[in-house]
Amino acid sequence: MNERVQNNNDDESVITITSVSKAFGSRVVLDNVDLGVYKTQGICICGVNGAGKSTLLRIIAGLLRPAKGSVRLCGFDVSVEPEKAKPHLGLISHKSMLYPELTISENLRFFARLYGVRNAHDRIQKLIEDVGLSPYRYDKACVLSRGMLQRLAIARAIVHNPTVLLADEPFTGLDTQASQHLINVLDKFQADGGTLVMTTHNTRLALECCDRVVVLDKGNFIFDAKTSQIDTGPFIEDYCAYARSRN
Amino acid sequence: MNYFCESLWAIFIKDIVTEFRSKQVLPTMIVLGMLIVWVMRIVSESASAGNAVMGAAALWISLLFSGLLTQERSFAVEEHADCMSGLLLAPVEPETIYIAKLLVNIIMLCVFEIVVVPVVFLAFAVSVDGRWVEFITVLLLGNIGISSVGTLFSAVVGLARTRGSLLSIIVLVILMPMMIPATFALLQLFNAIPTEISGIGTLAFVGSFDAAMGYMVAFDAVFVVACWLLFGFIIKE
Repeated sequence: MNERVQNNNDDESVITITSVSKAFGSRVVLDNVDLGVYKTQGICICGVNGAGKSTLLRIIAGLLRPAKGSVRLCGFDVSVEPEKAKPHLGLISHKSMLYPELTISENLRFFARLYGVRNAHDRIQKLIEDVGLSPYRYDKACVLSRGMLQRLAIARAIVHNPTVLLADEPFTGLDTQASQHLINVLDKFQADGGTLVMTTHNTRLALECCDRVVVLDKGNFIFDAKTSQIDTGPFIEDYCAYARSRN
Repeated sequence: MNYFCESLWAIFIKDIVTEFRSKQVLPTMIVLGMLIVWVMRIVSESASAGNAVMGAAALWISLLFSGLLTQERSFAVEEHADCMSGLLLAPVEPETIYIAKLLVNIIMLCVFEIVVVPVVFLAFAVSVDGRWVEFITVLLLGNIGISSVGTLFSAVVGLARTRGSLLSIIVLVILMPMMIPATFALLQLFNAIPTEISGIGTLAFVGSFDAAMGYMVAFDAVFVVACWLLFGFIIKE
């Protein structure tokens, strides 16, 4: 499982979202959403609070069921064949999903075992070095700073070498140095052939990390463009004006 | 099968290590158990019931309530930092999570029993007349029954974002059918009641020690399998 798992689809689309809708009570969060994400693409989903970004990521991850529509991950429907889709996926959430009483090494070893990672020891050592936590490998997660915890959360999310990494506002609470370290780790993940789906409020970081930006508003995509086609300054200004109008 | 064993072992070891490092539940369980035994011992001095009766009652009451403490913690530990999502993202079967959590709860209760049972024997001056195998079997069957129901409903209560009181009510009500033969068996082992009881009444319904063991085995078998099957459904929904 150390080697990236083979896709089950012929085209290069690793995530295919088709007509996905989701409502919590009477509040519609996602309304007939369609999206295709291609291999090695870095896509950023922007939107104000409550736009449906986190809900969409949790549906892609199989943690929430859509009311309507389907999500295919590497050719597998996440609702129908979750056991086949799960090995392809890593998720960084608002919360670390780490056990405070376990050390850095123990947390990674635990998740490596759950994913059946071969040569787990070597893989964990390499990941700890990649995220710059080597001096702290025997420290418990509960004593780590927010930035270190986030780096460990990334290592946890990619311990099984997934095809797709979902990152839900990964820069929240990080200082400039920690953010730069995170960008380097995400860049390395993409350079190694991984696909990144990220949500953030920070459009500057979105343009820096990703090669495609989509904007989600009231459960629908209202903007979709490659970052190479976007004029950074005006885009950020327009987005800020839009966000102010929504808040 | 190999992956099942590996993921089961990973979750089991993780929970044991987490508990023994945080020391959150076991000390509380033991203190609660000791308190119950101590209160029952004081009551027994003025009660008409004999020491054997009070000893059996103290043992089951402390086991039930201390069990609730460890069971509530089973899934509370997964709620911290959304660790439950981390578990569910992995390709591990929900049933494997249940079995691992059940084993941890059984081990925790066994450790609790190792501490509390000698105290009960000393406090109430009870003996089992060399019937140690039967005594350990009764405790183990009770332990499995309490843990199987408690582990399932700990997940339900955790997912429903409610806390202890609901778990206590649900688990204690469901465990009632098992506690009757469990109490009967312990009373017999402590020589508090005759070998066979006939007539009308709850203990007479159980009848004999063998029947009590039979009821407990049946309860454990039904509830371990039912909870194991239900757990996957509850987690997925």
